[in-house]
Amino acid sequence: MKLTYIEEANELLANLEISLLALENNSSDKTCIEEIFRVMHTLKGNSSMFGLPVITDFVHDLETIYDKVRSGEMELNKELIDCSFLCLDHIKVIIYDADLENVVNKENHFELLKKIGGFIEEAGSISVNEKKESQAVRTVYVLFEPSAKIFDNGTNPLFLVSELASMGNSKVVPHFKLSENQAHDECFTYWEIFIETDRSENEIRDVFVFVEDNAEIFIKELPFKNVLKNKHFNDLVSKNMYGDVGTNMEELVHLLSDQQNNEPVADAKKEVVIETDVSEAGAIHSNKKVSKEVKEKGATSIRVSSDKLDELMNLVSELVTTQAGLTLFTAKNKTPELETISENVEKLTRRLRDTAFGMTLVPINNMFGRFQRMVRDISSSLGKEVEFVTEGGETELDKTIIETLTDPLMHILRNSLDHGIEKAADRVTKGKSPGGKLILKSFYSGVFVYIQIIDDGKGINVETIRDKAISKGIIKSTDNLSDKEILDLIFYAGFSTAEKITDVSGRGVGMDVVKRNIADLRGNILVESEVNVGTTLTIKLPLTLSIIDGLLVTVDKVNYIIPLSVITKCYSVKNEDMANNFNRLLTLDGEQVPYINLREEFGYTVQGSGETLLIAVNNGDRVVGITVDMIIGEYQAVIKPLGRHHKKQDFVSGASILGDGTIALVLDTNKVIDLYTNNIKREEKTWQLN
Amino acid sequence: MNRTILVIDDSESIREVITVGLQSSGYNVIKGINGADGLEQLRQSQGIDLVITDLNMPVMDGISFVKEVRKDANYRFLPIIVLTTESQETKKQEAREAGATAWIIKPFSKEKLVNVIKKIVR
Repeated sequence: MKLTYIEEANELLANLEISLLALENNSSDKTCIEEIFRVMHTLKGNSSMFGLPVITDFVHDLETIYDKVRSGEMELNKELIDCSFLCLDHIKVIIYDADLENVVNKENHFELLKKIGGFIEEAGSISVNEKKESQAVRTVYVLFEPSAKIFDNGTNPLFLVSELASMGNSKVVPHFKLSENQAHDECFTYWEIFIETDRSENEIRDVFVFVEDNAEIFIKELPFKNVLKNKHFNDLVSKNMYGDVGTNMEELVHLLSDQQNNEPVADAKKEVVIETDVSEAGAIHSNKKVSKEVKEKGATSIRVSSDKLDELMNLVSELVTTQAGLTLFTAKNKTPELETISENVEKLTRRLRDTAFGMTLVPINNMFGRFQRMVRDISSSLGKEVEFVTEGGETELDKTIIETLTDPLMHILRNSLDHGIEKAADRVTKGKSPGGKLILKSFYSGVFVYIQIIDDGKGINVETIRDKAISKGIIKSTDNLSDKEILDLIFYAGFSTAEKITDVSGRGVGMDVVKRNIADLRGNILVESEVNVGTTLTIKLPLTLSIIDGLLVTVDKVNYIIPLSVITKCYSVKNEDMANNFNRLLTLDGEQVPYINLREEFGYTVQGSGETLLIAVNNGDRVVGITVDMIIGEYQAVIKPLGRHHKKQDFVSGASILGDGTIALVLDTNKVIDLYTNNIKREEKTWQLN
Repeated sequence: MNRTILVIDDSESIREVITVGLQSSGYNVIKGINGADGLEQLRQSQGIDLVITDLNMPVMDGISFVKEVRKDANYRFLPIIVLTTESQETKKQEAREAGATAWIIKPFSKEKLVNVIKKIVR
């Protein structure tokens, strides 16, 4: 039970945070205030339901403030928003410590309560003044006509009439509308009530709040005063008492306007009817709409525990493996019926797999929301003006990927804020706008999701990186590296260009960890930078982690799987062409393509003649060839992690069990290429070992 | 005459809070821990004037309870207040259709509760 509460509360708080941030950017946004109010209200309701008075009261006070903001009694200012953020953080803590057992929480709690109290008081002084301006006493006509079935809900309409009558001086005129076969358990009475009151129409309508859909209610202000004791008035309205005819408004108005020398008033009754008809119709219409919306919302999403989803994914993975076995068996035992069945199973499995995957995808927006807050806090603590823009929050990613991604992204954003974007003064001298801009965007491309962090800060100076790398011994001064390769150095362990460690960066997570985290997700990170223009970091991620479409190949009888997503083309090449090829370039389709001979790299004997197959794969923005002995075919690979002993072999991202029970290793082609082509990387490896 | 109110809620703390509030306002209170228990209490004790029931409860929820009560000719017109949360707008409608007299949105103060009761029983 409690867990449900916390889960829901966290969700509500996340919404609250988003709305608060939006409100901060646009303080006149009424919908934000409404949303904030609504979220707080729900949170309060939940807390009270779970018997958490501390949180209930706290949220209640906070809600009071926003109620005043909503009604315009209180102005929204920075102080209030800052305070709201503090409160938000506090609530996040106390939902786990609802009895304030922790002393620090307790202190915070009362401090914040005092602060909130201050705001309320401030507003109170204004609101008192406004209260006094309530409506003057006037005569109100109310027609209350309960439906015949009103007793079925246990309502006693008499109580409502008497409640209304108690609002001021009143005259109640009951009417009966008896039918021939009047049922004894049905309501046949309706009332006309004239009251002299200072209550607003809403307060009057409030009396009937529980019978709104069970009765006709007309409310109309009458254009005259002090008539209840008027004899003519009483005579007229009592004339039809207990009858089925209501007061003739025309007559009444006529009579009283003569009496009181009021200006002649047009057909009041007619007006009443028209007005209420419209409003009633509108009310019914909007009610229906609301409930429909609610229903639709209820149907579009349900809450499922992530354990169940993981279980589903596991089962689907097993199914995919089993199905591969079936396909293999079918291929060996040619039976036409079996083939049809096997093909259908394959098709269904694939669809089931895609559907199950779809379920584990969540929009990246949730994570972006968290960053909004972080960027706001950091930039204000660094005294920098930063406009933070997020794009493509609707992009969906596997939830485990999103979880793993949060820390690295946070680190990158921190770096951008701390080292990338300059202080306002520096920016102005460089001719830039004083406020920096930080963009976080995500988008799909093929089977990948890209996430970019773009800042318009000072950029990364290639020379600085190079000097640093040399002084740290990561590269030699004689190494001839391209700018891109130098920029990549920032991802190496032990490399930090921060001139000094502030409390923002330097939390023990380096860019190397970022890169490793992303690599664990079979993703890639790329950095582009231009001095004084800005830096762009691009993260490329696979949509899901556990099942991929791959090409099954063999190298010396060992099975390997290469993800289809990286493959551009397959070629057949002559072994002679490779035998004495020292610069390791082959001409394919008229272009020179570097290649890796896996037989050679894996330490098998290299064939000097005949033909071999070469698979062209994407590696960043170039194409690299990888040779294999045989291509078996397309294969849906369920990726299982490797055991502890093989963890260090990062050119293999996992293993998959084939239909016949043998194992295939899933190659991470980018790592394979890094491992066998780039000299710097090799040196870095030895450097790491030391 | 003191009115007697049957309070049904599966949460003991909420039951207690409501009970104390009602007693201090001069009502007699009988308690039930879920819809089924509530029905039992209703039939055993005489002269219950009003029922206040939660909606989400084990064994028998509030809506089914209201429906059951309305089926019984003795209680066709018995006033019933249901406790809902704001997020249960559809529930409110459902309760209404089942025959509930009024609803109170949680959280509520003692004053609000008593105000609503006064609309329904005197």
